Amino acid sequence: MQNRISIPIGPQHPLLKEPLSMMIDISGEKVLGGSMRLGYVHRGIERLAEQRNYIQNVLLIERVCGICSHVHTTTYCYAVEALLGIEIPPRAQYIRALMCELERIHSHLLWLGILAKHVGLETIFMHAWHDRESSLDIMEAISGGRVSHAANQIGGVSFNLDKAQAEMIRSTISNLRTQVEGLLNVIETEPALHARTQGVAPVSAEMIRQYCVVGPIARASGVDIDLRRDDPLPPYDQLEFKVITHADGDAWARTLVRAQETRESLNLCDTIMRDMPDGEVLVRAPRKVPPGEAIIRSEAPRGEVFYYLRSDGSENPARVKIRTPTLSALSMIPAQLAAIQVADIPVVLAGIDLCVACADR
Amino acid sequence: MIEELFFLLVFPGMTFQVVCGLGFEWLDRKLLAMFQRRVGPPWYQPLADMIKLFSKEDLLPKGANEMVAAFLPLLSLSAVLTAGLYIPIAGFSPVSFEGDLIVILFLMSVPTLAYYVAGIVSVGIYSILGGGRSLLQFFSYEVPLLIALSGPAILARSWSVSGVMSAQAGLGPFILFQPLGFVLAMVGLIGKLKRDPLDIPKAKSEVVGGSLTEFTGAKLAFWHLVMNVQAIVGIFLLVNLFLAWPQMLHPLLTAGIFLAQCLIMILILSTTSSVFARLRIDQLAGLGWRILVPLALLQVAVVILMGV
Repeated sequence: MQNRISIPIGPQHPLLKEPLSMMIDISGEKVLGGSMRLGYVHRGIERLAEQRNYIQNVLLIERVCGICSHVHTTTYCYAVEALLGIEIPPRAQYIRALMCELERIHSHLLWLGILAKHVGLETIFMHAWHDRESSLDIMEAISGGRVSHAANQIGGVSFNLDKAQAEMIRSTISNLRTQVEGLLNVIETEPALHARTQGVAPVSAEMIRQYCVVGPIARASGVDIDLRRDDPLPPYDQLEFKVITHADGDAWARTLVRAQETRESLNLCDTIMRDMPDGEVLVRAPRKVPPGEAIIRSEAPRGEVFYYLRSDGSENPARVKIRTPTLSALSMIPAQLAAIQVADIPVVLAGIDLCVACADR
Repeated sequence: MIEELFFLLVFPGMTFQVVCGLGFEWLDRKLLAMFQRRVGPPWYQPLADMIKLFSKEDLLPKGANEMVAAFLPLLSLSAVLTAGLYIPIAGFSPVSFEGDLIVILFLMSVPTLAYYVAGIVSVGIYSILGGGRSLLQFFSYEVPLLIALSGPAILARSWSVSGVMSAQAGLGPFILFQPLGFVLAMVGLIGKLKRDPLDIPKAKSEVVGGSLTEFTGAKLAFWHLVMNVQAIVGIFLLVNLFLAWPQMLHPLLTAGIFLAQCLIMILILSTTSSVFARLRIDQLAGLGWRILVPLALLQVAVVILMGV
């Protein structure tokens, strides 16, 4: 092929707000392939975690990700509590789950906005981000933080919900549901969005297993995995919800899966608010963690988050290993870039829902 | 002599077109903001943007042809301003002649070609990509646009805009006879202005800024002005060709109707750009040659049969 040129995308590019650098080889409007460079936001969090004690680490772990910060601390706290052998009160479990679902709603709406912006639908971007504010407002009202909530403590959560707050959450969620329904209707019926995303870089279930990809991307390719059902942390074992899957594996399937998951999460929020038991939200946890190992997995908005914790009986953990869903999805990008057009690059990259901060840590 | 200078520099020439162009940009941005639940800019924002751009440093990458890069926006601006001079404003046309429609259409396509060359001479990777895309897009929308705009001329048996207008005074606005032609002309105009959903040559997430990626300062300000004046000239042209209203008794009433029609056109343009996703270049080429061109030919055939 003649006229082979390489275009740089990132680390600063209108397409990617994430610090990720890609060189993409193109010929005319055809994409031939690409390579990528990671590590721009590596902060050494796993090493830092070994130098701090278990309680300080809760605040550190929150900084792994700017979007799904709560699910990281939740997983970490459950791991520490498993090492300590304590069980937190049921009300605390429900509050943790509520925050996780609110986070999923805000993450998926954020993603829908970004996809829409990349295909030139700035109106949907503005509306999706407007709706997303409601879920951030709830989290701010109950925890005090919009992005970093500092909601979790070892042994429970750091706040309780009173009647007025519970009422506010219910009414905000029902407003949010009306807004989101309107938005999702537009997304599911808009012909130009459909034309831009359908059939773009489809991924087979085979390939998903080969690259160990998890989360909504895997579910959009027909791989039926969801840790909330397969290996549930409490209280998900008591909650009813549907796991959304789609067979096609293209960007359109991912859009539909995430859109329907947003609906499902709104329902889950309602269920959680209805079933939430009364009682304490915090039990006293001992400072000293006995030697041992713990592995806890949970379902973040982007898929499985894996925490491995090893304690040697001292104040600080001996090892904290974090595996985030984005890294495996990133490894699939070069394979997806073959045989698409330049105009499809944003759709492919957006379809993955990158969180480079998670992947780099 | 003074009268000609007034036509050239004030009305309906340069000053009027530039003011209308800036007004168009403000109205467009304000409407878009309303659709997107934002506040939008104050009325003087387009002018403030221009002044700010003029005060910025003006540089191009090494290897770029400075002379040509500075000449292109000025050439485009003078082309669209000249085109605007020949278009009647509310029925007032001081320099009209038989065949001016063809001159207008020629002058209106100069900025697109200049845009392509600008991408090549400013040597950026994204500029070259954007320039190539603008040429591809040009071939997709220009043919249906020209066929659609020749419909009114054939029906009026005159290739001057004033002639088309006086024919409409007798028959009624041509949009009644060729609604399809009007829609096609709108699509063509959106393509010409590189507006969403046909902003393929300057799609931010795909080719950064297209041809204008490397342009800064006064040159970029002139390019923005070209786009705005081109938009307003295109709107005036379409209003005259399809929506001309018979002259009223009072000239202010005629001007009011003309203004209202232009505002409706701006509303249509803003709504379209806010509700549609961007097409891919192959989808646009397919749309242009498989759908728009046959429809335009059908419209012209209907017009010719009507005239017989």
